[in-house]
Amino acid sequence: MDIDMLLYRGALLAYLLSTLTYIFSLLIRRVSPARAATWVLTAAFGLHTLFFLGQWLSKGYNPFLRVHDMLSFFAWVMAGVYLAFQLRTKTRVLGAFVSPVVFVLMIISSVGIGGPMTVPEVLKGGLVTIHAMLSVVGEALFAVASVAGLVYLIQDGLIKRKKSNKFMKLFPSLQDLDRINHFCLLWGVPLLTLGVLAGSIWARTVWGSHWQWDPKQIWTLAAWLIYAVLLHQRLAIGWKGHKMALLSVAAFMLLLAALLVEKSFFTTIHRFY
Amino acid sequence: MNLILIGMNHKTAPVEIRERLSIACNEGFNPLDEIKAIPGVGEALYLSTCNRVEILARTQEEHPDVEERLKDLIFRHGNLGEEDMARCLYVYRDGAAIRHLFRVAASLDSLIMGEPQILGQVKEAYRLAVDHQAAGIILNKLLHRAFRVAKRIRTETGIASHAVSVSYAAVELAKKIFGTLKGKKVLLIGAGEMSELAARHLIKHGGDRIFVANRTHERAIQMAADFQGVPVDFDDVGESLREVDIVISSTGAPGYILTYDIIAAALKRRKNRLLFLIDIAVPRDIDPRAGDIDNVYLYNMDNLQDIADDNMQIRRGEAEKGELIVAAEADRYIEWFNTLTVVPTIVSLKEKAMGIINLELERSGGWLRNLRDEDREAVEIMANAIANKILHDPVTCLKEESQEGSALAYVAAIRRLFRLDGSRDNE
Repeated sequence: MDIDMLLYRGALLAYLLSTLTYIFSLLIRRVSPARAATWVLTAAFGLHTLFFLGQWLSKGYNPFLRVHDMLSFFAWVMAGVYLAFQLRTKTRVLGAFVSPVVFVLMIISSVGIGGPMTVPEVLKGGLVTIHAMLSVVGEALFAVASVAGLVYLIQDGLIKRKKSNKFMKLFPSLQDLDRINHFCLLWGVPLLTLGVLAGSIWARTVWGSHWQWDPKQIWTLAAWLIYAVLLHQRLAIGWKGHKMALLSVAAFMLLLAALLVEKSFFTTIHRFY
Repeated sequence: MNLILIGMNHKTAPVEIRERLSIACNEGFNPLDEIKAIPGVGEALYLSTCNRVEILARTQEEHPDVEERLKDLIFRHGNLGEEDMARCLYVYRDGAAIRHLFRVAASLDSLIMGEPQILGQVKEAYRLAVDHQAAGIILNKLLHRAFRVAKRIRTETGIASHAVSVSYAAVELAKKIFGTLKGKKVLLIGAGEMSELAARHLIKHGGDRIFVANRTHERAIQMAADFQGVPVDFDDVGESLREVDIVISSTGAPGYILTYDIIAAALKRRKNRLLFLIDIAVPRDIDPRAGDIDNVYLYNMDNLQDIADDNMQIRRGEAEKGELIVAAEADRYIEWFNTLTVVPTIVSLKEKAMGIINLELERSGGWLRNLRDEDREAVEIMANAIANKILHDPVTCLKEESQEGSALAYVAAIRRLFRLDGSRDNE
């Protein structure tokens, strides 16, 4: 086994460990295990980063075109964004919701990782890489926003219930969770916009037009539209807190469901290798 | 072990009796010297707070009348009849005394379980004992252990971590909503004592600016000046909801001051920023339906009291974990105490020397193997002889001391110097 795979397995194991530690923190309703879990998650993220660097340097090819690599990259961005927030706010136990998602993404991705690579000629070129990376970062930010939204809804419910509750003490404050939503939309929407633009320019060069009414393209446009509207409402109208949390969760669920339908019932020219 | 603890606390003695005792000591009179003067008492600690009086003493040998003399002392200080006092006193010995001291220091025995002051008071009592040269080897170790037990229980159980007063419950809620209170603006409607107290709590935890509205505007101006805040016209209260983050309302008004419509309209103008409303007035000032509005969190007096009560219940549950820690730590202390006798100390001293010799012989095994068998034996014999010669004087000294009386201090010193208890007890 080469060093890359060792790093990958190490990261996978550390993600698992941090997930378990976070869950333990929820079970005993104390924050101290979550503190340890944050460090484990940081270690996992570090190993994962080294893995990407290694892939990029040793193989030389664009490492983000296969579905497995893409999922792993998605997980990496989620972990990174969460850890960055952890540095600035006391959102520690939020990790108990982010870490499992990251771990599951990594498990799915691990099935095909390290296999032989055959990228067709059309998928070679810098623009494809930019398109894929920006889009994934944008969508990963939306995923973090929806996880934060979920925790917001729980915490909001607990505070409105007006009963003493250990989970209420454990979970982050509403304002911090709302701030995550703000940040994720603020950066997610422009990044996805750039990603989609890069994609459509590149589509023109290989498929001859910017838009093919491909299911995947429609899905992406829908996602972009939904989040652009949310961001607009947030900045211009002042939708905040509960409503925004609810909509972020709903939007992500809807898009996830649409993605599953698309995968099961339609064929697309827009796919990974 | 000859430890004896005599005392009374809020559970056993009515306030009039505790009062008399603490008045007596507030007069600048500290009974430590008097306690030490009792024949047989070697070490002593005197702890007095509003809720308890405790005397902890160690006698050198069995002194059957020490208990009576200590009680006498308390009676004299209390200036009360013996019968009255005797009902309130408890007496613990040895293991029970240790556990009681640990429970007191960890605030398991306090009126408000988990309150933090008692540990400071125990530390102060210990400092006085040290100043009066009333603390020796046993009490030093015991008190340091008590401080550690208290710290362990604080960090390992939730005994101190749930707000049990109404104003702290409000501060904790505010933190769960806003994260930090830094930069948060607070509006007080009604300039009463209650709202003033709550406001002080919020400021202590970072609350930024205070706005005050009152039916009589002069009172609002006066109170705002106290907080270096801003007085607000009573009729403009709805308007100021646009700016503030936390509202504490406590007027004597018969109807609602903040109706559903006022709050809903204000929320729109403040672009849905979170709003925390605390209604401590009876009858209520804020329409309870306002709590259904998104991003508005409305708590009234009963809600806060319920939370404080629930938290007290949680603390009681956590206290059970604390009791387990107390029991385990008391056992460890007794275990340490039992090693403070001469014979086992000599045995472990010799074992330690033998251990070092064997280890070094093993390490030197390489070149020792080159020697003839007789020479090797001679080296081992010499090593043993050196060790025995070095230990001879300390061991003889220990034996002599133990015949003359208590060798406790010597035993403790030897155990410490040679690390016979391992490193864990050398904090």
